[in-house]
Amino acid sequence: MNFSRRTILKAGGALAFLPSPLRAQAQSNILRCGLSAWPPNLQPWVSTGASAGTVKMLTYGRLVGYDKKGSLTGEIAESFARDPADGAWVFKLKRNAVFHNGDPVTSEDIKWMIEQIAGEKSTAYMRAQFQLVARIETPDPHTVRLLTKEPVATLPHWFGNYNMGVISRKSEANAPIGAGPFKLAGQERGTSLDLVAFDKYHKPGLPKLKGIRFVVYADENLRFAALQSGDMDMIEYVPWQSMETTEKDPRLKLDAEDGPFMDVLFNATQGPFSDPRVRRAVAHAVRREDIVKVAFFGRGRPLEGVPIVEGTPWYDKELAKGWNYDPERAKALLSQANYAKGFSCKMLATAQFGMHKDTAEVVQQHLAQIGIQCELQLPDWSTRIAMGSRGQYEISIHGVSGDNNDPDGLSVVMDTSLSPTYSRSFGLKAPRTSEAFAKGRAEFDQEKRVAIYKEMQRAALEEVPIVGLAWRSQGYGMDKRVQAFKTLPGALTTASGALLDEVSFG
Amino acid sequence: MRWFLRRIATCLVLAWAVSLVVFMTLHVVPGDPAELLLSTGGIAADPIAVKELRVKLGLERPIFDQYLAFLGGVIRGDLGTSLVDEYPVTKEIALRLPRTLELILAGTLIAVLLGLPAGTYAALHRGGLFDRIVSGTAALLLAIPVFVVGTLLVLLLAQTLKVMPAGGYVPFAQDPVKHLTLLTLPAIAIAKSLSAVVFRMTRASVLDALSRDFVRTARAKGLSPTRVLLRHVVRNALTPVLTVLGLHMGTLLGGTVLVEYVFNWPGMSTPLLRAVEARDYPMVVGIVLTISGLFLLINLIMDLLYAALDPRTRAA
Amino acid sequence: MTRLWIPGAFVAAIILVALLAPLLDLPNPIRQDVARRLSGPIPGSPLGRDEFGRDVLSRLIWGARTSLGVAFASALIAGTIGTLIGLIGGWFRGLGELLTVRLVDVILCFPPILLALLVVTLLGPGAATLILVLSVLYVPGFARVAYAEVLSARSNDYVEAVRALGASTGRILLRTVLPNIAGPVLVQFSLAVAAAVVVESGLSFLGLGVVPPAPSWGLMIRGARATMEQAPLMLLWPCVALTLTILTMNLLCDALRDAVDPRTPAQRPRRRLVDRLVPGLLPPPAVEPERVLDLRGLTVEIETPLGRIRPVDDVSLTVRAGETVAIVGESGSGKSLTATSVIGLLPPAARPVSGSAWFGDRDLLRLPEPVLRQLRGGAIAMIFQDPMSSLNPVHRVGDQVAEAIRAHRQTSAANAQAQALDLFRRVGIADPERRLRAFPHELSGGMRQRVMIAMAIANRPALLIADEPTTALDVTVQAQILDLLAELKRETGTALVFITHSLAVVAEIADRVTVMYAGQVVEEGEVAGVFANPLHPYTRALLAAVHEADAAPVGIPGVVPQPHAFPAGCRFAPRCAHALAACAASLPALEEAGEERRVRCIRWAELSGAREAAA
Repeated sequence: MNFSRRTILKAGGALAFLPSPLRAQAQSNILRCGLSAWPPNLQPWVSTGASAGTVKMLTYGRLVGYDKKGSLTGEIAESFARDPADGAWVFKLKRNAVFHNGDPVTSEDIKWMIEQIAGEKSTAYMRAQFQLVARIETPDPHTVRLLTKEPVATLPHWFGNYNMGVISRKSEANAPIGAGPFKLAGQERGTSLDLVAFDKYHKPGLPKLKGIRFVVYADENLRFAALQSGDMDMIEYVPWQSMETTEKDPRLKLDAEDGPFMDVLFNATQGPFSDPRVRRAVAHAVRREDIVKVAFFGRGRPLEGVPIVEGTPWYDKELAKGWNYDPERAKALLSQANYAKGFSCKMLATAQFGMHKDTAEVVQQHLAQIGIQCELQLPDWSTRIAMGSRGQYEISIHGVSGDNNDPDGLSVVMDTSLSPTYSRSFGLKAPRTSEAFAKGRAEFDQEKRVAIYKEMQRAALEEVPIVGLAWRSQGYGMDKRVQAFKTLPGALTTASGALLDEVSFG
Repeated sequence: MRWFLRRIATCLVLAWAVSLVVFMTLHVVPGDPAELLLSTGGIAADPIAVKELRVKLGLERPIFDQYLAFLGGVIRGDLGTSLVDEYPVTKEIALRLPRTLELILAGTLIAVLLGLPAGTYAALHRGGLFDRIVSGTAALLLAIPVFVVGTLLVLLLAQTLKVMPAGGYVPFAQDPVKHLTLLTLPAIAIAKSLSAVVFRMTRASVLDALSRDFVRTARAKGLSPTRVLLRHVVRNALTPVLTVLGLHMGTLLGGTVLVEYVFNWPGMSTPLLRAVEARDYPMVVGIVLTISGLFLLINLIMDLLYAALDPRTRAA
Repeated sequence: MTRLWIPGAFVAAIILVALLAPLLDLPNPIRQDVARRLSGPIPGSPLGRDEFGRDVLSRLIWGARTSLGVAFASALIAGTIGTLIGLIGGWFRGLGELLTVRLVDVILCFPPILLALLVVTLLGPGAATLILVLSVLYVPGFARVAYAEVLSARSNDYVEAVRALGASTGRILLRTVLPNIAGPVLVQFSLAVAAAVVVESGLSFLGLGVVPPAPSWGLMIRGARATMEQAPLMLLWPCVALTLTILTMNLLCDALRDAVDPRTPAQRPRRRLVDRLVPGLLPPPAVEPERVLDLRGLTVEIETPLGRIRPVDDVSLTVRAGETVAIVGESGSGKSLTATSVIGLLPPAARPVSGSAWFGDRDLLRLPEPVLRQLRGGAIAMIFQDPMSSLNPVHRVGDQVAEAIRAHRQTSAANAQAQALDLFRRVGIADPERRLRAFPHELSGGMRQRVMIAMAIANRPALLIADEPTTALDVTVQAQILDLLAELKRETGTALVFITHSLAVVAEIADRVTVMYAGQVVEEGEVAGVFANPLHPYTRALLAAVHEADAAPVGIPGVVPQPHAFPAGCRFAPRCAHALAACAASLPALEEAGEERRVRCIRWAELSGAREAAA
């Protein structure tokens, strides 16, 4: 070992003078953005997760989108409204909207797209919804009229989903032609994706960036490291433990919103959890602050009721505390259900994601306090999904978000009359809750809808199709020069990537 | 030559056995690729869509048919396409395998360059200060998990000093300097425990060789200490070190997962892990088949080297 | 021994703490207290609390139970199965090898992470699954190491010897082969335990390990990595625990290997400067030119755990040019140490503490190593007992001879090879061209010894020391080698020191003989004289034994005493039929008993008189 201290110092000094990777890209006007997961595929209508959603929204574009406040707004559709005459939803397409091959976006394309999604062999995410569409009319190339079998108040939201990419009907099977602000220029499977600006994008002056380079960083620590070291200009899913560092870093900023939430699901086909009183006991037994602190480093909020975002018309202060932490009441409920001495059960979660594991550990501890002894089952995520969908559990911990910020967006989580899936309770009957969802979906009057959804919350508090645990913060971290980006509120956080068309380097 | 052909045949049989075991086990393991794909991001999948996707992916066929189809493909040199995005498995392997190999070779090189001389020196000066310090360091290197070391390296060099990028990959042709810069940290992480292993094994076998009679003979011939050391001690100590090294290199082929994960090195372990998570059967089987094939190849090379190094094993 | 029990005590302490965790009155390791989350040291929690507010110290100790339990269990299972497989595969080769070692290779073909993933997915995560996965993962490692060791061990002479004795295979494997491969297997064991502890953490990091909330070091590291910025110390504790465990495991395994392996030398004592200088300041003795080697009062000491011993004590010996001097004695008499100290090849632990060895006008005991090295293999050469182990198995014998030539003479490689060929012819190796390119294992025992002799005479030494050169050979070959040595000596006039335990050999080859017993010379003289009229009872006993069989002197009861238990008086007294009280009282001196004749016995004159009277 001939290393003297001096040689090491020299080496260190030499390193410091190496060309730094920092800020190399700002001049070229290409945004480098760190993703948390590789998009499994970019099929426009198949559900393949939020990271894929970001890329899909940017390359295909959608009929409608959300503005920075989270309100529904036109994208390729310049307007959308319900025709009072026959109850049809009418979408007017922008005349300057063109596909990447130069063809204009026409009503025929939209019709073809809906037919594909609702088709018999479809694997599309919104398949069930669009099968409610009875008829598609295209009176002119820029007008689409949708007539549904039953009235649907939330239909425009369907088009806001990131699994609703708009593609040309001339697209080949595996080469979708979109109409989004960017074109896919290249990709390396599992590693990175390169987008370049589309010059004939329908929003004038946009996109402001010349391109976006998405790089996948599966490890959250490294994703944050890449932001902090300057390798990336922006990252999604800033790990909660790094949010404070991001805020304190003079070069960085954090834009976070509470959106997704953690919940408890039950298998109600047999055993103690078939009794709603036991489920309510669970709801009252958990001190939510502990979850927020442990799993989310304080970056979240307790959720002691139905997951309705605070500040929306459907929110009710009283109802939001319907499942407040009250161990005494929990014990009383257990006694009423003849489980005064408690019982043992198995709790399903996954060890693959820290937040699931941590939440499960806290819930396990609190349930033990009221006499419910849970043994944790923490298989890998895939097994956990399979077990969840097949009801091979008694109680499980899950993390999810609604489809959108309309309370109807919660039906995917809480309407247990829908098909069995791992993200809803299994074999659980909550008829009043399901009924309220159906009523709300068919109601167009805002005031009546508010009343219906408050009723839904009351029903759910008693029927307990899920137990809300905690909102969790979803944050984008970025260089301070990245302008005009905004994390969308509530259930829409994962759709924030669509706003990258307006982003520029300041 | 007959020996060689027999080894090749054994290798092929072994590779086939591995592929069969993996193929069958994967189908037994819970988790449905179609459901998983449609559930990406924790979103509830529509059971009807799942069913349709299963048909589309050919998963509804009897497993025996699926296996036959797979075998047929293998014989034609086609490992099939991913269930997730229909990407050809061979293409993915062709892209990723060289990177994993590069990482392993770089790590092994560092490990050998550090471990071999250090182990020899420590054995020669057994019980001395160097021996104690390096033995302690080796234990430390073995003890600290690679994901901790990786995170600390990134924290120090990328986040605090900002002299190194926080992981990633650039093709050599595109930017050789950056390529090597990016290779450094993951290679060090690979070499971390490997160098400790090489050190310990070298130290042990040099000590063993030192006590052999032929070393005394060599000294009795009046050979210089350097010559005794190189030709009679280290040369003879190489065989066990090589055994262990070959073993570890083989294991590393699919075992660079944590390093690739922590440094975002796009090698072959990451897609394997992801494919297992997604139950992407053709991708898993394809990658495993490649890894076991390579492993057997390394073995074969090791055996040949072994024979070259230790003539006694040639006799049989 | 201290080397074994210090790390042993450490490992035992770690295991004990883990085992005694329930009795240690620790806070409940899974009891959460989120309010005190990530706090530093607080009363009752000297190492602070983790991200759930659980006591870190308690989790560390309880975690040791899980982590070490998993690691030891899996290493033990894998070690047992793997070694067995390696033994069987290496010993039987052929089908046995195919069914064991090659089959185990299948495991290696699986990427470990895939294996872990598949097994964990099938069986569900947990400590038992972890043990299974790790055992499976480590079996091939053990099998490989054991296999490789068996392969080289089975060709060794001692194994072949036991085999020839007709011992059963199982017995050979367990009693002979296993102890000899124990070293590398133990190293592998320490590596496996260490690796298992680390892999446990890696699998827990990926969520495939121990199921929370049960504590394990891996889970602690996983948790601490996330809170690295908030509470860096949380990461430190489990890492320290891991490092200490692995370090002590390594030390223990090293010590174990040393204990198992009899070849391990002890610490080499430092030679003091004064030791080197003082004797050199004395005037050299008058050089008698006809004396090739003049050994005077050589005493060798060895530091052992039982104290300082003197296996060679005040030995003097003279070798004249062209003369053959035999040193004869039972094993343990110090004859080999005497010879090796002359050419400076004493084992590291041994050192000459007094005396001198004059080779011409140079004292070999005090020559600096580089000068001594010039002499070794040059003017002084040595032939060792076991030609198989004394030849390097991985080099061709021709190269090994050529190497000896080139170590002392500037000559080209080709020229050295040509000279080696000549030498091979001279030592009577048939088909020398082909044999030059042979490896030691391809030659017979006698052939190997001829190679050793060729190597020794390569540089026409003035003094040749042969240390039991025929002991490892069978009888007919012994005779051939003795003939060869005698012939070479006649041709070259080399002085020969011939070490043996067989008086029959002495009679055949030597001019003079020195009889050694328990580190001392007990009698010396012309061979004819000594054989005709042995003066020392020990010599007599040896001679008596020769006539019965060419084996150990059966006529003498008992064995040579161990160096640390040498009697104070005559060292042979306890075994001597003629011993008196006076014999045990003080050490008899080496007395002159005629021309060129010396004996160390107070009763020699009396006894020889009695014999003559009897005759």
